[in-house]
Amino acid sequence: MAECGEIGMMLGAFEDSELEPNEMQEVAFHLARCESCTGILADYSTLGRDLRSITAEPSLAGFSSAVIARVDRLPQPVLTRIARYLRRQADSVGSGFAWGGAAAAIAVLTIILMTPYAEQFANRGPHSTTSIAGHEAATAVNQVAEATASEPTMADNDSHADISRLESENHSVAVWSEPRRDTTVIWLPDQP
Amino acid sequence: MTLRPGSLTFLIIAIAAFGTPGLAHAQAGPKRVTVYIDSVMAADTNEGTDPRLAPMGKKLQGLFGFSTYSLIGHNEGQTDCGKMIAFTLPGGKILHVQPRAIDGDMIAMEIVLFDGTRPMMTTDLKLKNNGTLIVGGPRYEQGMMIISIGASTGGSHPMRAQVGAPAQANTR
Repeated sequence: MAECGEIGMMLGAFEDSELEPNEMQEVAFHLARCESCTGILADYSTLGRDLRSITAEPSLAGFSSAVIARVDRLPQPVLTRIARYLRRQADSVGSGFAWGGAAAAIAVLTIILMTPYAEQFANRGPHSTTSIAGHEAATAVNQVAEATASEPTMADNDSHADISRLESENHSVAVWSEPRRDTTVIWLPDQP
Repeated sequence: MTLRPGSLTFLIIAIAAFGTPGLAHAQAGPKRVTVYIDSVMAADTNEGTDPRLAPMGKKLQGLFGFSTYSLIGHNEGQTDCGKMIAFTLPGGKILHVQPRAIDGDMIAMEIVLFDGTRPMMTTDLKLKNNGTLIVGGPRYEQGMMIISIGASTGGSHPMRAQVGAPAQANTR
């Protein structure tokens, strides 16, 4: 355990939270067991509080504007004035780019967010009278009939179902849609 | 290059004006799906169409050439997107339906039909809200079994059979 003399030198910094974390821990650990150092720390604290209360802070109202006004009144070298003019022009051009970028961002966001509407609108098209697979032309599906999502779907978008995958051990699965009846049929005849 | 405060305000207003409806459309869709299953026996026994099949009787008659359509079971259940719902159907068939997502007016789902424990068919599809998918073909008694699968994000389906309390389904 650290000695009171050693800890006492760190109490002021401890009060101001200026110690390293390990030192803070060491002091805190010591204070938990030492009433003498705790009393000194309390005195530091009281002293600091009292000093802060009697010090009047100077008013800074108008200080920054007064400094800027004074700086503006100083004669500017020609090169500085030219540089300032060029900077303003660059800001204008930059602002133009910023507007362009903002417009592009809005366009992209609008496209992304309006996509559900577009899909919904596209799905409202007139009903097709042709079925993907006719009733008679039952699709013979081999051991496993499977269509991946990337392939064209089996059922017409205008029917009630849009099949992206169909697996069956049945060799004679047939799928057809009846747009006029808003129905898609999957036919699984029993194997002989 | 600087983006002035006015530009930033314009950008925010533009996104709010153009983007919010689409965003709301993408996010506000209901996630709960009601699945309706009607199991129908179709046969050539000249017995006509079961009156409980009134909403879809004409559709079945137009799709298939049978002279008898009899409702042999009706199940319905609600489930959330991503949660599978299982239906026990007549003839030892089991149907698993798992809605995946709601995309505008379409409900993406996976359907697996089992004959006992053997999977007969697995399909991924997008079914129109209140739309119907018909799976048919398995032999049932003296005819064939036709399973009408309907899904709705609302509380009712226009093609469901007119029955009393439907059989329960299990969700997982």
